[in-house]
Amino acid sequence: MEEDLKTSIRGEVLSVKDLPTLPDVLTEVSKLVEDPDASTEAIAKVISRDQVLSAKVLKMVNSPIYGFPGRISSIQHALVLLGFNVIRGIIISTSVFDMMEQAMKGLWEHSLGCATACTIIAQRAGFEDPEEYAVAGLLHDLGKVVTAVQLPDLHQQIVETVQARDITYFQAEKAVMGFGHDRINAWLARHWGLPANIRESMSRHHAPQLAEFYKPMSCVVHLGDFLIRLFEFGTSGDDQTAFLRPEAMKELGFRMSDLDRIMDSLADQLMEVSDVRF
Amino acid sequence: MNQSVPDSLFYRKQQAFLLSPDPELAALLQSLWPVEEMEFRVFDKGRRAIEFLFTEPPDLLVVDGRLDDISASDVAGLVKSENVYRQLPVVLCLDAADLQREWDWNRVEVDDFVLRPFSPEEVRARINLTLCRAMRALDANPLSKLPGNTSIIQRIQQLMDQEQDFALAYCDLDYFKSYNDRYGFSRGDEILMMTARLIVNTIKGFAGVQSFVGHVGGDDFVFILPVDKVEEACKRIIAAFDDIVPHFYDPEDRRRGHIRSTDREGNVRTFPLMAVSIAVVLNEQARLKHYGEASAIAMALKKKAKENPKSCYVIDRRKD
Repeated sequence: MEEDLKTSIRGEVLSVKDLPTLPDVLTEVSKLVEDPDASTEAIAKVISRDQVLSAKVLKMVNSPIYGFPGRISSIQHALVLLGFNVIRGIIISTSVFDMMEQAMKGLWEHSLGCATACTIIAQRAGFEDPEEYAVAGLLHDLGKVVTAVQLPDLHQQIVETVQARDITYFQAEKAVMGFGHDRINAWLARHWGLPANIRESMSRHHAPQLAEFYKPMSCVVHLGDFLIRLFEFGTSGDDQTAFLRPEAMKELGFRMSDLDRIMDSLADQLMEVSDVRF
Repeated sequence: MNQSVPDSLFYRKQQAFLLSPDPELAALLQSLWPVEEMEFRVFDKGRRAIEFLFTEPPDLLVVDGRLDDISASDVAGLVKSENVYRQLPVVLCLDAADLQREWDWNRVEVDDFVLRPFSPEEVRARINLTLCRAMRALDANPLSKLPGNTSIIQRIQQLMDQEQDFALAYCDLDYFKSYNDRYGFSRGDEILMMTARLIVNTIKGFAGVQSFVGHVGGDDFVFILPVDKVEEACKRIIAAFDDIVPHFYDPEDRRRGHIRSTDREGNVRTFPLMAVSIAVVLNEQARLKHYGEASAIAMALKKKAKENPKSCYVIDRRKD
């Protein structure tokens, strides 16, 4: 039974052709790409607030057709290499959610908040290209979007399980589906040819100690996810306190005082992010 | 129907051969284009034309299936089996009965066919399309699919002949060879594909102006823009390239900021990360008459640009 479910879900996940997104960002981006004076930076900024559009853009630029698969993990770079026509095509072919929009908004805010946290954490740790950590943070719960879109009944079951048993969404996924969104993330990222660092942190953000090649990035996303839940910014499907793996703190060379600093910056920046309407 | 294409589809007069015993077909074809646009040389026997095909290859070959001394597919095969002549577009003229049998188009390598009874409009449109398609296909760089040398030279000469002001920029990559030696050809190709995309999108970003991007080959690219836009384009290309290229190195090389590679003499040397050099020639007040002058100036400038290991551009501002 469970085995069947796995394969059927896997088949469905791999057939994801169209992930819808929320109307607000899409409207804003659509306006920008029709404006001949809009800069790539401005468009990148807006797309970077939307996990589905970001994922689509990275999927496109990393496809073998372009000739440099798995090399690009920055939205800004992706836009330079794709160009306006292709971006316009992606925007045109993206639909909007017509279901559970309210529930999805929480997840969008959570993802955007996590991206913000990852930037701050990466800067604090002294890593180069903090923007790439933001992308990893933004995409860390994409698997949840896929479940909601592709398997609404199961999604509903997971949400009910969270409430009935008072457990995390991640635990409820495992109880209902036999695996969590980290596995879906792994399939998705592989299927879409996303760069290895983004791929690993998407699939290892709940267990960064198991990351093989890009442990620092996986740890940044893990910590970002933890902090943004602490702030209760958006919702990731439950209201549990997440577990912070001590290995992540060690890997990043952080002490509690570092966390204080990060949380101060995060509080400031979330104020700005909150001004973004959803 | 008989008017010439305004500002002709072709950059110069086209020479065409017609191999056909049918005088009506010859008359039809000759009536479809003014002679200064396309000139048909008619052979009523196929064999006689073969030698001329090889010594004075035309721009277009139209072969009638009604030839009685050699089959049309043999003529096409002769042309298409030699790499030197392969690009010559070949159009067959067939009778409806010819299509009763299944053709093996992999064996009969022609570009198109027209069918009796001929519709003059259709014949004209098909042959025009065949010629344009052949020009595009022939000259596209196999890796980037950007227009290659022939189109580049044509475009530049055209602008010069029209005495238009334009800026012509030559881009190439510093230390591309050492990247190739260190990481292998397929990763080298990734760099070229990335660079092509970057230049194309940067140039296309200047909306509403006449522009052109070509790929000379290897790591050499060319673009054309109006004089007042070119400096901004150089800055954008350099900024984007310098930003993106480090991501194409392995993490440890990227951290070090250079790669270790063996040079042509077999010595191990260190090379900086790749950079882009751009040499820009301005053609104002019809200063330049020939493509050769522009490329000579550009090559001299490129030497200057290459002296700087970092990405840079040099603009030739001489007004002589």
